[in-house]
Amino acid sequence: MWRVLIVEDDAPMREFFAASVLRSDQLSLLASVGTVAEARAWLDNPAHGVDVLLTDLGLPDGSGLEVIRHARLRHPECEPLVISMFGDENNVLASIEAGALGYIHKDAAPDDIAHTILEMKSGASPISPMIARRVLSKYHLLQSNQPLLLTKRAEAAIHNGASLGDKNLLSGREQEVLELISRGFSYAEIARLKTVSVHTVQTHIKNLYSKLAVHSRSEAVFEATRMGLLPKG
Amino acid sequence: MSALAGRLLPVLFGWLALVTLVQAQTLELTQARASVMVNGATTDRELQLPYHWDRFNKGQRGEAVFDLHFDLTEVPADPWGLYLPRLGNAYEIWLNGTLLQRQGDLLNYNGADYARVPRFIAIAPGLLRSSNLIRVHIRADVGRRGGLSPLVVGPQEEVYAAYLRDYFWRGTGSLVVAAFSLVVGMMALSLWATQKDPLYPGQPRRDPLYLYAGLAELFWTFAVSDALIENPPLPWPWWGALQVVALGAWGCNMALFCVEVAGWNRHPAARWFRRWLAALMVGCVVLALWALGLGQPLALTLWYAALAVTILIFGGLFLWRAAHQASLAHRVVAVALLINVLAGLRDLYVFRINPTYAENTLIRYFAALFGLTLGYITIARFRTVSAQARDLLATLGERVTHKESELAESYRKLEILAREQERMAERARILRDMHDGVGSHISSAIRQLQSGRASNEEVLLTLRDSLDQLKLSIDAINLPPGDVTALLANLRYRLEPRFAASDIELQWGVELLAPMQRLDAQAMRHLQFMVFEALSNVLQHAHASVLRIEAVMTTQGMQLRMVDNGCGFDVTAPLRKGLQSMRERAQAIGATLSLHSAPGRTVLKILIH
Repeated sequence: MWRVLIVEDDAPMREFFAASVLRSDQLSLLASVGTVAEARAWLDNPAHGVDVLLTDLGLPDGSGLEVIRHARLRHPECEPLVISMFGDENNVLASIEAGALGYIHKDAAPDDIAHTILEMKSGASPISPMIARRVLSKYHLLQSNQPLLLTKRAEAAIHNGASLGDKNLLSGREQEVLELISRGFSYAEIARLKTVSVHTVQTHIKNLYSKLAVHSRSEAVFEATRMGLLPKG
Repeated sequence: MSALAGRLLPVLFGWLALVTLVQAQTLELTQARASVMVNGATTDRELQLPYHWDRFNKGQRGEAVFDLHFDLTEVPADPWGLYLPRLGNAYEIWLNGTLLQRQGDLLNYNGADYARVPRFIAIAPGLLRSSNLIRVHIRADVGRRGGLSPLVVGPQEEVYAAYLRDYFWRGTGSLVVAAFSLVVGMMALSLWATQKDPLYPGQPRRDPLYLYAGLAELFWTFAVSDALIENPPLPWPWWGALQVVALGAWGCNMALFCVEVAGWNRHPAARWFRRWLAALMVGCVVLALWALGLGQPLALTLWYAALAVTILIFGGLFLWRAAHQASLAHRVVAVALLINVLAGLRDLYVFRINPTYAENTLIRYFAALFGLTLGYITIARFRTVSAQARDLLATLGERVTHKESELAESYRKLEILAREQERMAERARILRDMHDGVGSHISSAIRQLQSGRASNEEVLLTLRDSLDQLKLSIDAINLPPGDVTALLANLRYRLEPRFAASDIELQWGVELLAPMQRLDAQAMRHLQFMVFEALSNVLQHAHASVLRIEAVMTTQGMQLRMVDNGCGFDVTAPLRKGLQSMRERAQAIGATLSLHSAPGRTVLKILIH
């Protein structure tokens, strides 16, 4: 049983998601709240444990991204999912970089919602061709700025003693998978083309999510250090 | 310039005083018994030196022998010397019957001229007695300043010092002046040859100021250096005439130089003045030949007087102008002119009106002032020009900066305008999108609900279409222009739930296509609509089990095909609303839409050229 926390300010929508979670016998609903403050308070309670966070982005007292970051900080085992109206690339990418491992459309069918949560827990993260293309172009940009990036990493490593973990942002296979996704191929088609299992393809994507989040965090740390927001050493 | 003259004059007067002092300590011999031979006739007489041949024998050449006696109370044991400020044109000097010195041929009239520099002769101690006779034998040519000056005899040191001072001014002084004039003249001529004034009204011209100054200096070099030439390349009197012409040419060129300095060169009177100067030059040649050839020094004196009057009148004007509002260059030249006019008048008086014999011309030294003024003018001009260039550069820099800021400003405005236009176009596009997509779907959903005939399923489908359209609109904002692959991939992703629900097998034949530059955001949206419409039709009406989507680049352009195995429809029947809209959009983006339908195979082809 995966324990689910829902953060959504729109009451009917919150009810709908709660109902969708409750329909699944593999999911249990921990709580459903409507603001960032409530979510923080809930997450800060050490008695609480959470496996899945389902959060909207536009909350009355802040952004769902804050909730995602807070959840990752307090409950590293928690896997956040973003509720997105359009699944548009800007919001989804920002969520992924904040630590989300997937997203759910607001207009999805109730079964699809539970299905998406379970898929994520079993290692599959959805990615749209648009997002794949964005990630690829960002990756190419990083590649072309490789010397700068290396300098950044070196500086960050010196300042924080933190290993950034990603020697290269994308492995060759991950890049191939992303390219095929951006061209519109489904996971099954990619698995067939690359003669791997669908699960492997899904794992690639989920890994990619984590990498993007880590990369974004190290970038943020670097930027903060550079701007003097964090103490050096 | 005036400061220099002020320093030179005391030196000159000091020298004159010194000469008198020396003469007081030594013997100056002025009493002579002369026998003068002209045309075979000899006249003997006592006379007072100096003896200026031309004055006593106008237009005649001849010889003269002078005997000068002097007694010494005691015969000197140390070496003595004899100093003769001037004698010639050729001569022999005897002391007590011993030949001391001979220069030139006493019989060769109009030959070499040795009367140009002072002479010094050392007297060996044994030659002098208590009673002595110096005999000087000269040959004199017509108008060549032949004759004999007073003799100075005395202890060698004193006499030689006096001689050296004299020689310094006459010989070395002339050499220095000649060299200076030559250098200035050559520089002025090279300036004239190389510098063109591009701002002169009409066409660019060389500055005649440099030409006149250069010519004047060269003529002056020639006139002054005559003092150093004992063996002229031309026989007398032609050589003498040449000297006079050179002097005249110097004066005329100097006057023209002054005209340029004063800026009178375009004045109508300047033309008449030039003509007068030209006439003077012609007169100079004629009168010089007449005076020297026929022994009529008066002719030359007349010519000199004409030149002097001309220079005096012109100089007066020039000076008057200099005193009232004139350029600094004009004033500087005026000072030099004033000094030269005074020196010239003095020389005219000394040489022509009240001739003395051994004197030297003063003007030969003061004329160098003109060379200095030219130097000043040149330097001042270069300074002005470089200042102008500096100003010009500064102005240019300012103007460039100004233009740059203007350009930046207009770029900024243009950019704002372009951004504004872009925003307007984007707004128009979004409005049209909302109207054609979400708006039309929602209004049909409302109609469906109002009519009460539509099923729940139908209304749901319409609303789903509406949301899908909305998502596609948002995606279209991020679609890279011309990237049809991304467009199709995105469409597939958005419609994936519907395909999954409809049990249609989707075959994906989309190649990686290079972006088509001619498809802008608007065209991409049209294409998105067309493909969405086509896929919607297949999903709703075709009852197909397989749908194949292909996108390939062909020689004709990019070809997009959607092939299904559904029931098909009559393509000749009146167009449905969706199809009609597709045709319009195809036309709008310049694409060809073709449709072939038969039961079991319907092909919709979009060809983008």
